[in-house]
Amino acid sequence: MSIKQSPWAMFFALFAVSVCIAWFLLGLGEHWINPFNPTSDIDSRILWELRSPRLLTAFAVGGMLALAGAWFQVLLGNPLAEPYVLGVAGSAAVGAVSAMAMVPDTAWAVSLGAFIGAWVGIAIVLSFAHLGSVRLLLAGVVLAAFWAAILMLLIALLPERGVVRAYAWMMGDLSNSALPVWSLLLAWGAALCCGLILSLSLDKLLLGEKHAASLGVDVPRLRIFLLLLASAVTAIAVTAAGTIGFVGLVVPHLMRLLFGSLHKSVLIASAFGGGVLLMLADTAARTVISPAELPVGVLTAMIGVPVFLWLLLRRDT
Amino acid sequence: MIKVQDLNLKRADKQLITSLSMQAKQGDVVVVLGPNGAGKSTLLLALSGLHTDFSGKITLQGKALNIYTHLELAANIAWQGELPPTEFGLTVEQRLELAAHGATEKLKQALTYLELEALKHRALGELSSGERQRVEIAAMMVRDCPVWLMDEPTAHLDMKHQVDCLKLIKQQSVEGRLIITVLHDLQQAAAVADMVVLLDGKGGVQVGQAEDLLTTAQLEPIFEVKLQGSGRNLMPVYSNLSDKDDNP
Repeated sequence: MSIKQSPWAMFFALFAVSVCIAWFLLGLGEHWINPFNPTSDIDSRILWELRSPRLLTAFAVGGMLALAGAWFQVLLGNPLAEPYVLGVAGSAAVGAVSAMAMVPDTAWAVSLGAFIGAWVGIAIVLSFAHLGSVRLLLAGVVLAAFWAAILMLLIALLPERGVVRAYAWMMGDLSNSALPVWSLLLAWGAALCCGLILSLSLDKLLLGEKHAASLGVDVPRLRIFLLLLASAVTAIAVTAAGTIGFVGLVVPHLMRLLFGSLHKSVLIASAFGGGVLLMLADTAARTVISPAELPVGVLTAMIGVPVFLWLLLRRDT
Repeated sequence: MIKVQDLNLKRADKQLITSLSMQAKQGDVVVVLGPNGAGKSTLLLALSGLHTDFSGKITLQGKALNIYTHLELAANIAWQGELPPTEFGLTVEQRLELAAHGATEKLKQALTYLELEALKHRALGELSSGERQRVEIAAMMVRDCPVWLMDEPTAHLDMKHQVDCLKLIKQQSVEGRLIITVLHDLQQAAAVADMVVLLDGKGGVQVGQAEDLLTTAQLEPIFEVKLQGSGRNLMPVYSNLSDKDDNP
């Protein structure tokens, strides 16, 4: 039996690979610290109080973005869909930047603003959920443009320091998450479990809504649930780390190329693959021009896109 | 087995079907005929429970369709319609497994009957339309449903596979399945039909035996073409293609 056919074998294999990669990345930073043998108390605190929470946050956020991307792609029947396609990131950004304007220098207020903004966006999108996939997608794209316009207006009104902070948040920032690591890992696990429970229905939805319904799927209910689930997971990820692009678009496709199209494999692989990609990107973001940091969203694209294109070409040949 | 009472179907503002009543039992082959846009596919969707925007009553084994759960409907009615999308890379075998629910023996038989064995690991997107249509017919075969609803099952198929498909329909009806199928080819319709539902594209509908409805007198006004022959030899006249009066 191959690893693709056994979800548990796949889960544990990818878990082991992720732990090995995380262990190695934990040592990387302004200076190398051996995670097995930190040489001083300070090194030990850097490892366990600074680097590991950030690394685990990156893992959970990356995994959740990849899961949400996979769900939005099948929900909308569109391979170009990603977690921010229906404007949830835009509304979250409006919430976050509003909080920056109203309560400057308060990290938790930014997260709270993002969370409230994301849910306002979800509530609006849900009112379009009864429309077909294409019209839902159109509504999402128009809403995203609307939120972008409000965001521009808010940024134009912010003082200069606020503008820099707003842009940093919008390009993704894992250094300042207001959500505790355990809650993010719990959300990651819950999201994966929900996905796996739905996986057979999601596979049938790949055949189109009519075929799925003829195979016994309650399509309207599944669509609402999936929309709510994918949006909620996106809202949590955005609240924790700002808007980080490309993970949600590229990782599910990458995992389909590697492990096939069935959702048991795609979702397990995306939950780990997205996590590992964001851990790699964030480690690069904080080490490449250390002590300064690069925006992690830039690095997810710089790592994810070439790998994706290479796999795409390799499959074609 | 399936009973339709006073069914009225609309699409947007167009009345597709007015007051259709019919009854079909196990082993029947019902052919739905009509011009493009007459409502044939919508009728099949209504009969399958996938389209619920109609007035009238459809019952399956004495029970109204809307009382059935999604899973009960799926266990009783298999629907073949538009070709599924191919963007996400499902293979032939995976597509059939989604319909088979573990019926591996039936899956093997379907792959063999539709000559798909060699293609089973290929992605649906790598196949021709005809090959994908064969996969959809195989997806009907792997399900153990007493009712098959088939929307143009011979579309995209070459002659050999068209004949195989019609043989399959006859053979399955002999085994007791009720098959309701949309067809465009009159000879194919005459070869398999026990009963015909004829839609005129203006809301009118006739139900009757194949020999009563598959006649030039019935079909020429509806399809607006000249027909020749009768019974299983009924076909459009192709000899006047350059006739000036018939040019658009």
